[in-house]
Amino acid sequence: MENNYIYIPDKSLQDEVEFRCRVPLENTDQVFVVDGEGAHRGLHLGKGEVMPRMLQIIQVRSRQVEEDLSYSTDYVLEEGAQAKVLLCSHTLSMLDFVTHEDVNIKLGERAVLDMVVMQNEHNKSRHSSAFKVEMAEGAVLNLNIITLHGGGISNTVEVALNGKGGECSLNGLYLADGTQRVSTNVNIFHNVPECHSSQLFKGILDGESKTTFSGRIYVAKDAQKTEAYQANNNLLASRTAKAYTQPHLEIYADDVKCSHGATVGSLNEDELFYMRSRGIEKGEAKLLQQQAFAYAVLEKVSNEALRERLHSMVESRLRGEFSECANCSKHCC
Amino acid sequence: MENLIEIKNLHASINGKEILKGIDLVVKPGEVHAIMGPNGSGKSTLSAVLAGKENYEVTEGTVTFLGENLLEMSPEERSWAGLFLGFQYPIEIPGVTNVNFMKTAVNEHRKQKGLAPLTAAEYLKLMREKLAIVEMDPAFSSRGVNVGFSGGEKKRNEIFQMAMLDPKLAILDETDSGLDVDALRIVATGVNKLKRPDNATIVITHYQRLLDYIVPDIVHVLYKGKIIKTSGKELALEVETRGYDWLIKGE
Repeated sequence: MENNYIYIPDKSLQDEVEFRCRVPLENTDQVFVVDGEGAHRGLHLGKGEVMPRMLQIIQVRSRQVEEDLSYSTDYVLEEGAQAKVLLCSHTLSMLDFVTHEDVNIKLGERAVLDMVVMQNEHNKSRHSSAFKVEMAEGAVLNLNIITLHGGGISNTVEVALNGKGGECSLNGLYLADGTQRVSTNVNIFHNVPECHSSQLFKGILDGESKTTFSGRIYVAKDAQKTEAYQANNNLLASRTAKAYTQPHLEIYADDVKCSHGATVGSLNEDELFYMRSRGIEKGEAKLLQQQAFAYAVLEKVSNEALRERLHSMVESRLRGEFSECANCSKHCC
Repeated sequence: MENLIEIKNLHASINGKEILKGIDLVVKPGEVHAIMGPNGSGKSTLSAVLAGKENYEVTEGTVTFLGENLLEMSPEERSWAGLFLGFQYPIEIPGVTNVNFMKTAVNEHRKQKGLAPLTAAEYLKLMREKLAIVEMDPAFSSRGVNVGFSGGEKKRNEIFQMAMLDPKLAILDETDSGLDVDALRIVATGVNKLKRPDNATIVITHYQRLLDYIVPDIVHVLYKGKIIKTSGKELALEVETRGYDWLIKGE
């Protein structure tokens, strides 16, 4: 399947950045976006066009320059079009820099986009991504944002449900330790009746990390029969980590089902003792609990091979190892 | 024969309140002991202290397990040494599957013995064999630990875990609570199948009922943090018919 992305083959990239993705997922096409080059081409699918394979876009920040980098990508899926996208961001340069990324998504009637975002950057990198989504009648969006590593990661997601029957599932997992910062801002606008939205964002914080979550659900006056749910749960693995969470519901319609819930807690001592009493060493027991906590979000990823890979990357990340795909050639952290 | 466990003058408190006030108990391999007693006598505290629950403070006394100082061991070290606690209220752990939980536990035990971890096939074989002891469906293994289990299933799961870990000493804390007759029979049969001349069981219970199935060699009555009476299995029957009052008055 041809797409409009610039394709930078393995070989030519090798000399320049020594980065290869050696273990592509099955039924997946890979494209590289190096220092934002080519990002503007985006993805445009015409009416009824269905991409049979997943598109993996590997964004790499490689140049040894500290200047800010901004780029913007449009994803336009016309009526009935369908796509699966895996958007990865990595850093090869260890410099202290900022990347601004705008992801504009337009889904036509009954268009379906399944997007997984995997953010794995170095300790000083700052990356802000702004996802702006417009959805027409019956469109479906599944967006899962997995933040494994990064100095300061900010994700802003704004979704406008502009046509009846739109379905939007937003999920996120953020893992932070050291002095990392992760912020998540979600705004969902239910502008018309009969749309569904759900959000599940979970964070595991260690060290002196700080995360913020702010989520707003707006339901317009005429948006009857809206269903909108939001949950943000945070697990603190240290006494010095801090999680801030702020849910908002702004409802002007009267026939809706909406809920929100936010929690910040630490590891459950009873579970820990139960596992240890069976001979599971304390560190391993904590790890099992953290994996269990992350489980619900990773289960939202529909591609099984990708889900398995994310589970193992999350595990190695929680073990304090650098999380990367098997055989990755990257040595950046 | 060498003692499995030797408890001497054990005192323990929680939040500054003394619950155990000098327990003495010796269990030898091959024996089944029952500890009975009214509510609040310290039965569950005793099992929690032996398993190494952190919020209890041992203020006096010693516990020697297979020649080692048990009180200096972490909960996991106690498990590796061969101690098992069957919980009165088994803990639910959503998101951790039974299979992952037990596989991790079994392999940690193997690691301590210098053995290689079980392969998936070896684990599966062992698991099926042990599940049969408590008549459990293998389908349960992919569910979260104790999540959505009935009272009976939770207790059967405890005995299944005991079978998997093959302890030297199992302490079963109120294993009969919340069980109907059928579940009680399955649990008790499981415990009896695991009995060997080189291991031992301490059954902590409120009622005589369980002791019809798991027949003890020695029965102790615990009251206000002390063992006030030790005798043969006939003591359990006597408690059943006469209650605890006659013993307490004797105190």
